Amino acid sequence: MRASTSLSPAMPGPVAAVPRRRKVASAGGTRGLKRAHFREARLPLLLLLPQLLVLLLFFFLPALRALSQSFVLTDPFGNSVQFVWFDNFRSLLASPEYRASIGVTFWFTLAQNALTIVVSLVLAFATDRILRGRGFYRSIILLPYAIAPVIAGILWAFLFNTAVGPISFVLHGLGIDWDPNRHGIDAFLLVTFAASWKHICYDYIFLIAALLSVPPSLLEAAAVDGAGPLLRFVRISLPMIGPTIFFLVVMNFVYGFFETFAIVDAVTHGGPGGATMILVYKVYIDGFVHIDLGSSAAQSVLMMIFALALTVLQFRYVERNVNYDV
Amino acid sequence: MNLTKRSMFAGLAATGIAAGSGGAPALAQQRVEIQFWHAMSGVLGERVGEIVKRFNDSQTKYTVVATNKGNYDEVINATVAAYRAKKAPQIVQIYERGFMAMLLSGAIVPVQDLMTEKKKQVDFSDFIKPVASYYQYKGKLMSMPFNSSTPILFYNKEQFEKAGFSAPADTWAEFEKQLYAIKSKGIAECGSSLAGDYFWSLMENYSTVNDQPWGTKSNGYDGLDTEFVYNKTRLVQQVARLQKWVNDGIIQIAGQGLSPQQLFTSGKCATYFASTAAHGGIEREPTIKWSATYLPHEADLTACNSSIGGATLWVMKGHKSEEYDGAAAFLEFLAKPDLQVWWHQVTGYVPTSNTAYRMAKEQGYYKEHPTREIAILQLNRGTPTPNSQGFHFGNYTQATFALREEMESVFANKKTPQQGLDDAVRRGNELLRQFEKLNAGKY
Repeated sequence: MRASTSLSPAMPGPVAAVPRRRKVASAGGTRGLKRAHFREARLPLLLLLPQLLVLLLFFFLPALRALSQSFVLTDPFGNSVQFVWFDNFRSLLASPEYRASIGVTFWFTLAQNALTIVVSLVLAFATDRILRGRGFYRSIILLPYAIAPVIAGILWAFLFNTAVGPISFVLHGLGIDWDPNRHGIDAFLLVTFAASWKHICYDYIFLIAALLSVPPSLLEAAAVDGAGPLLRFVRISLPMIGPTIFFLVVMNFVYGFFETFAIVDAVTHGGPGGATMILVYKVYIDGFVHIDLGSSAAQSVLMMIFALALTVLQFRYVERNVNYDV
Repeated sequence: MNLTKRSMFAGLAATGIAAGSGGAPALAQQRVEIQFWHAMSGVLGERVGEIVKRFNDSQTKYTVVATNKGNYDEVINATVAAYRAKKAPQIVQIYERGFMAMLLSGAIVPVQDLMTEKKKQVDFSDFIKPVASYYQYKGKLMSMPFNSSTPILFYNKEQFEKAGFSAPADTWAEFEKQLYAIKSKGIAECGSSLAGDYFWSLMENYSTVNDQPWGTKSNGYDGLDTEFVYNKTRLVQQVARLQKWVNDGIIQIAGQGLSPQQLFTSGKCATYFASTAAHGGIEREPTIKWSATYLPHEADLTACNSSIGGATLWVMKGHKSEEYDGAAAFLEFLAKPDLQVWWHQVTGYVPTSNTAYRMAKEQGYYKEHPTREIAILQLNRGTPTPNSQGFHFGNYTQATFALREEMESVFANKKTPQQGLDDAVRRGNELLRQFEKLNAGKY
């Protein structure tokens, strides 16, 4: 089969060079995910069908529902419904709280992404150097992934609790005025750490797999040429696992955007004063706690737009620098 | 299906035998099932289970099935979802903040109408005033009072005595001095522990006790075009005081992962403003010597009644007549004074009727448990004014959420008390207008 590149997590990175694909890329002018070539249309459609059905049921129908709800004002029980055109969107965009939430989400996703990828890279690099007890070391790092987000959140909230948390005692002892109940920045850091901690293992396991597939011959050749471990990592391994890193950046972003809800709920409830009110948590609060379905639906639609826009941007500008062909 | 039916009959037969003293065992007629969703978990949930069991054993026509659907927010959500799927329970427990949403939902049957129609004996004039006034609309009770509470002030007796005070002072100014003294003398690490529902105990109830308006139109009783005005009352001073306390470490915010009550029961903080229903939990902690008293008031203002919190039972629309017979029978059972007295004593909630209160008093209950009487005395104090009868605001959970967010900014010194309250009022008023638009002409 001709290699059709995808962000397949299982097969990241380097296979032997595939000259044909390079030609397609330059000829068709398509960047990033390149088109696959099939002669006839029926088989691929048939193969896609199950997945499309799942998407229809769990994505397109709910999305359409959200879209239709975002234009109405309705009471919780649905007995009075008023069509209000773009009022829900207008009042959202006019609300300082919602704009603040966009800002928080932006910084949170960015910080979480950077922290996660950097820490897991360091850990993966270090694992490569460990000879004894490597399996044990790996299992330890993978453990957080098995913990439910809410539990992870409560764990962090407790450890850093101003009144009883052991770590906050240490911080206070060092003269740091740590108080996530009052200082927005502390709460923000806490949520970022907790969310990253939970996700580092995910990135880590992909990076480990990717590093394993870096051809040892290249590394050995570099070693013979006198490159130290760090240099080999930066100059050879890192570029070779580029596609994996790009994949992980996209995944981290999706994770930060949509899946960190439980951690925020357990650690800060979006407080203090909205300092950790990320968009997805606001959707939940307005929709499921306050049952303001119109506004909540409008927020979901806006989130969908943001997520789509950011993903497109990532593929356009970040993936340009990823080399699949090494 | 078959199996469930059979086991139900078996259960019925068993009850028949157990209850059958003398008379023939009850015929295995089809019992009508009444679904009852509630938000009481833990010990409270067990108590609800006991009530339901007592009711089911007391007659043979109806079976009430009680289900805990999570906390108050989750119960109202589950109800909304079930109603939309046409599977709503007959009876559901909804918190006081959901009053307007339920009232104007078009999804409920007013309780007083139901009870009159089904000819049930409930003395609606016997409910204590702040309870009745909260859940009344046009002179009729819309839902059945069930668990009602009001905030009181719990304090650590030893710590107050050590500081040379016999009890907390009546007025905020004096009380503040006491807390600063306790902290500066090193008797307790903090003067007070900030409860999660402080917006209710220290803000809303501050306004009712001191007869300050929360909104126009008699706190929303006289129209949907009400507006919040608590940024123009003495509440601003109260919030400034709270901000100062937080800054000076007089009041401790527990934060996520820690219960504020623990800070009090462990002796770390000297006082705790909380619902009288906290009695149950505090009594179980033997570590400290505690007592309780009334909420403080402003020295230059006469103290009014405090207002209630808690929940009532709503009857949902769309069920069969015999199911409503059962629901009415269950609600009548709940309103009986002896059951009220029992509920009051095992949970710490206030008795909702004057008769139940009198019965508890005649039993000598308050001689043994003096702090259990504070809540009801405080609720019955004086004559309720338009500012102290309750809060009838639409979208009130959302407005409260906005207020809490703004208060967090105040506690973080990001906003002054005035700015914080102004912003909360602005956000709250937007929600009120939205509610007014949606429900125009319905109230």
